Amino acid sequence: MLATPAPGLAETRDNAVFDALLWTLSRPGLPRGLPEPGEGSIISALLDRECLVYAADPLLMPEIMRTGAEMADIDKADHVFLGAMATFDTLADIAIGSDYYPDDGATVIIRASIGSGVALRLTGPGVDGAVTIRLDGLPDGFWKVRAARLRYPMGFDLFFVDGARVVGVPRSTTVEEI
Amino acid sequence: MSLSTLTKPWEAMSYGFLDGSAKRELRRKMLKSVAVPGCQMPYASREVPMARGWGTGGLQVSLTLVNPQTRVKVIDQGADDSVNAASIRRFIARVAGTPTTMDTLDADLIQSRHRIPEEILREDQVLVLQVPNPEPLRPVQPNTSIARQMHADADYGRMWLQLYEQIVRSGRVMQGASYPSLVHGRHVMTPSPIPRWDVPKLHMAKHLTILSAGREKRIFAVPPYTRVEPLVFSDVPYKVEEHGALTCTRSGTTGFFMNEIPQDDGSSAFEVSDSEWGVKTIRARDGEGESRGETWYKDGEMPQ
Repeated sequence: MLATPAPGLAETRDNAVFDALLWTLSRPGLPRGLPEPGEGSIISALLDRECLVYAADPLLMPEIMRTGAEMADIDKADHVFLGAMATFDTLADIAIGSDYYPDDGATVIIRASIGSGVALRLTGPGVDGAVTIRLDGLPDGFWKVRAARLRYPMGFDLFFVDGARVVGVPRSTTVEEI
Repeated sequence: MSLSTLTKPWEAMSYGFLDGSAKRELRRKMLKSVAVPGCQMPYASREVPMARGWGTGGLQVSLTLVNPQTRVKVIDQGADDSVNAASIRRFIARVAGTPTTMDTLDADLIQSRHRIPEEILREDQVLVLQVPNPEPLRPVQPNTSIARQMHADADYGRMWLQLYEQIVRSGRVMQGASYPSLVHGRHVMTPSPIPRWDVPKLHMAKHLTILSAGREKRIFAVPPYTRVEPLVFSDVPYKVEEHGALTCTRSGTTGFFMNEIPQDDGSSAFEVSDSEWGVKTIRARDGEGESRGETWYKDGEMPQ
């Protein structure tokens, strides 16, 4: 009879990261805590050698390479790390999948500050009525470009990381700037 | 970079049985299925020590989600104590060291075959449904590639035709379980073979539901507060099973989904399908304290 395996440190962390990501993506606009600050824990929870990754921030590269994921151009990548965004140009190239396979739309991770800046009103699946959230550090016109690129069910899904907090905005969410 | 940074210490079995790459793939696909509610996402569906078709899809989702603090409940046709439920519960506890429970209100994660518990699930609970056939279009379009095209085009006319034919032939909709439902106004899904009684519980629910078909290698989800509308004609309203007035012969509870038990004299006896609800009702009747939570159905009716 085999002893019950105990989760290692990495397993515990990856499990907690995914719990936060799944929770915040299914309840858009409600932030959750990550076990440690930054994108590093997200990289190890989601990425492996099956992934094509684009990272705008060169400091993330070593960590991404360690997972075995392949670096790719932004229009081919299934996981896109934009770091702190200066312009919204990069949004124009992110993969949105196809009507046949909406899951080919990319997962996009962006650094932003949660709780200050532009107020956003989110509605859609996962939101009980409407939820308001403030996000700062995004280029002007970000949400207009996002709305123009989405062709539901095609689109990309956003995670905003602020230190050890993360908030998800899936493609199904309608975002209004107020 | 050295060899030791690329490897990890040997262990007899990965935590939660699935290896790291299986879990990461499931994580990525779960996120996508939540982002596009009701849309079937292909995934690899690894081998687990259980035959395909016995809940391997749900099991893989559960094994990815659990940690040693997750309290797990497993039900099969409403019962906690049937062979399939007991085996899966014991397996998860053995490979992941999770505490288990039969109480719906105590559970963090509920893996279920064919039923949604009668008590209202909370925001912090996750319901994992085992799905034998994830494709609602299969009865009208056996070719998977064409069915995928139809989903892409939101071409669901034949689903209504199928319902129409049932009404013309039989005078009513004959679809007993896995009633096709429109999720978030876009994708038609088959909500696992839950009875019609349970479909309204998914509509604008507080909890996250993940539906996983291991044999068919597809996963889809219903996030909280998402519209789930059974396909109906405006002049033929959706009807749940007429169980609202039935009474359980063992616990005496009334107004819930029942199992029909044929009797020798040709009549039928009824027993509440959600076994833990029956147990709680008996405990309350015997004066052992009230442990029942609020239910979706009240007096056999789903409040609008």
